[in-house]
Amino acid sequence: MIRFMLRRLGLAIPTLIGVSMVIFVTIRIIPGDPVASLLGPTGSPEARVALTKQLGLDQPIPVQYVKWVGKVLQGDLGRSISKQTSALPYVWDAFRNTLTLSGFAAILAIVGGISLGMIAATARRKLTSGLSSAISLFAISAPQYSVGLILIVYLAAGQGWFPTGGMQNPTGDGGFGDLLHHLWLPAIAAGLVPMGIIARMVRSSMLDAMSADFVESLRARGIPERKVRWHAFHNTIPSVLTIAGLQVGYLLGGVIFVEVVFSWPGLGLAVYQSITQRDLPIIQAGVLLSALAFVVVNLIVDTLHGIIDPRIRR
Amino acid sequence: MTVLHPTLDEPDDAVDVHPSAPSAEPVPKVTRKRKRKVSRRRLGWPARIAGGVCALFFLAAIFAPLITPYGPLDGDRSQRLLPFFSGDHLLGTDGQGRDVFTRIVFGARISLMTGLVPVLVAGLIGTTLGLVAGLGGRRTNTGVMRTLDVFYAFPAVLLAIAIAAALGSGASNAIIALSVILIPPIARLAESEVARIRSADFMEAARVSGASFWSIAVRHVLPNAAPAIVVYCTALVGLSIVYAAGLGFLGLGVAPPQAEWGLMVNDLRQFTFSAPAISLVPAVVILIVSVAFNVFGDGLRDLLDVRSETH
Repeated sequence: MIRFMLRRLGLAIPTLIGVSMVIFVTIRIIPGDPVASLLGPTGSPEARVALTKQLGLDQPIPVQYVKWVGKVLQGDLGRSISKQTSALPYVWDAFRNTLTLSGFAAILAIVGGISLGMIAATARRKLTSGLSSAISLFAISAPQYSVGLILIVYLAAGQGWFPTGGMQNPTGDGGFGDLLHHLWLPAIAAGLVPMGIIARMVRSSMLDAMSADFVESLRARGIPERKVRWHAFHNTIPSVLTIAGLQVGYLLGGVIFVEVVFSWPGLGLAVYQSITQRDLPIIQAGVLLSALAFVVVNLIVDTLHGIIDPRIRR
Repeated sequence: MTVLHPTLDEPDDAVDVHPSAPSAEPVPKVTRKRKRKVSRRRLGWPARIAGGVCALFFLAAIFAPLITPYGPLDGDRSQRLLPFFSGDHLLGTDGQGRDVFTRIVFGARISLMTGLVPVLVAGLIGTTLGLVAGLGGRRTNTGVMRTLDVFYAFPAVLLAIAIAAALGSGASNAIIALSVILIPPIARLAESEVARIRSADFMEAARVSGASFWSIAVRHVLPNAAPAIVVYCTALVGLSIVYAAGLGFLGLGVAPPQAEWGLMVNDLRQFTFSAPAISLVPAVVILIVSVAFNVFGDGLRDLLDVRSETH
């Protein structure tokens, strides 16, 4: 098991190098001259040379890349242009709020997805199973910003059941109940797409498992259908886990729109505000942090996969 | 202890189907895997309706000036936030008195284009990469596929945002960003299709007859791989439209006074309280288009029985 985990950890290193290269390239493809945009039109030629040197832009690209990676490894993700502070602490604070939202959305998505998929696969009535499949397809297609706005208009602004945005009530005690009250709508908006995808995966692997030979023999032995389904469900766990893990990772992308719609003070909102202010260091730090979280989530899922299913450890 | 794979005594399922037949011939083994999917010749009714809705939006986009008397930028401030069905304004007016229906119809031009073009571009590049990886040597395959794997280490939306933000806002930059993120899944599918076709007998025949690499790729492999790739790309159009509008929503698409669905969503969401119905129009339109494309794509996939993962 430990060898499996080490091997998997080793495989993550080239991925991380690739990720860092892609982000570095997005930094370098910025059209225009970063020196000119930092100095403004009044910058003297001497100041230009000095700033170019200070930013290290006079060196060859591979050297710049290695230096940049070195800085990133030390936690230096550049300085925010609009806030004049170090990017990492700012992004990190926002990231914690994003994790809260994504975590809750992930729970909703996994619970909802598995229930919906099981119903679609095992319901006796064709109408019930068809309806659950239709709900999953609808959930997959629903853009997060549309769902978020519809929820706000009907359940928050219209009915007043939920707050329209934010994370905490400014006059409240800031306790867990208040947070949960603010969490429901954004988490539903963010969790709908992964819920649909998980539901479809559960449905198809459950149908595959139910047509396997062992199910037939369990039935022939007179084992109750409920227990037979339980055995079949056990066999779907590895594939469902993989998809669920991937989807939890993708949540980190879709959550941006939800955060903007609900003014949730997370990474997405920070990135959105930085887009309007052309504050690229914040955007890059945000994307890097999300990609890192994505790789970590995948690592955890693979490890769990190895624990649950000994066949893949080899 | 949980039993993952109950090892039961293998039931004797090789039923002797011809008890009277001489035992010199081996008895054909009856496989018990049932066919779940019955291949249908025609699209189901949900897919047909969905296809009709998609076609309707494309027609509306093409014939936009004929459908509506207004221009997408014509606004009268005294007529702002009119409710649905007031006068000629089928879907009311926005905060600057512009006709919302008109802006949706004209917005379809940009929104459908920024959704469709990336799929076409990524389809071409992805298929080419898949052919090269699938038919090339082992090293080529590893090189291409491992490079594409790197893109799977990002949530796709985030990568699109990072690229679009770096390139600067604008429709063409949004198209570039979306094309980049759609290439890896298409290339993966193309590669797996090529791998499936590679072992066919006719491939051996083509190779023996001395056909060149590109001749094999274009004349033998591509026609066999195309249906699966086309169906997958159709299913991606809905996703691409949603992403394109998402970039517009974040301010990474076309610039303001222009009509584009994502931009309209963001522009109208300030009226959640004062004009809730109007504020939802573009959001609901994107939802309808997305559902329609996905239902249609699903129907096509069932029809041709193509399996592929969505991401």
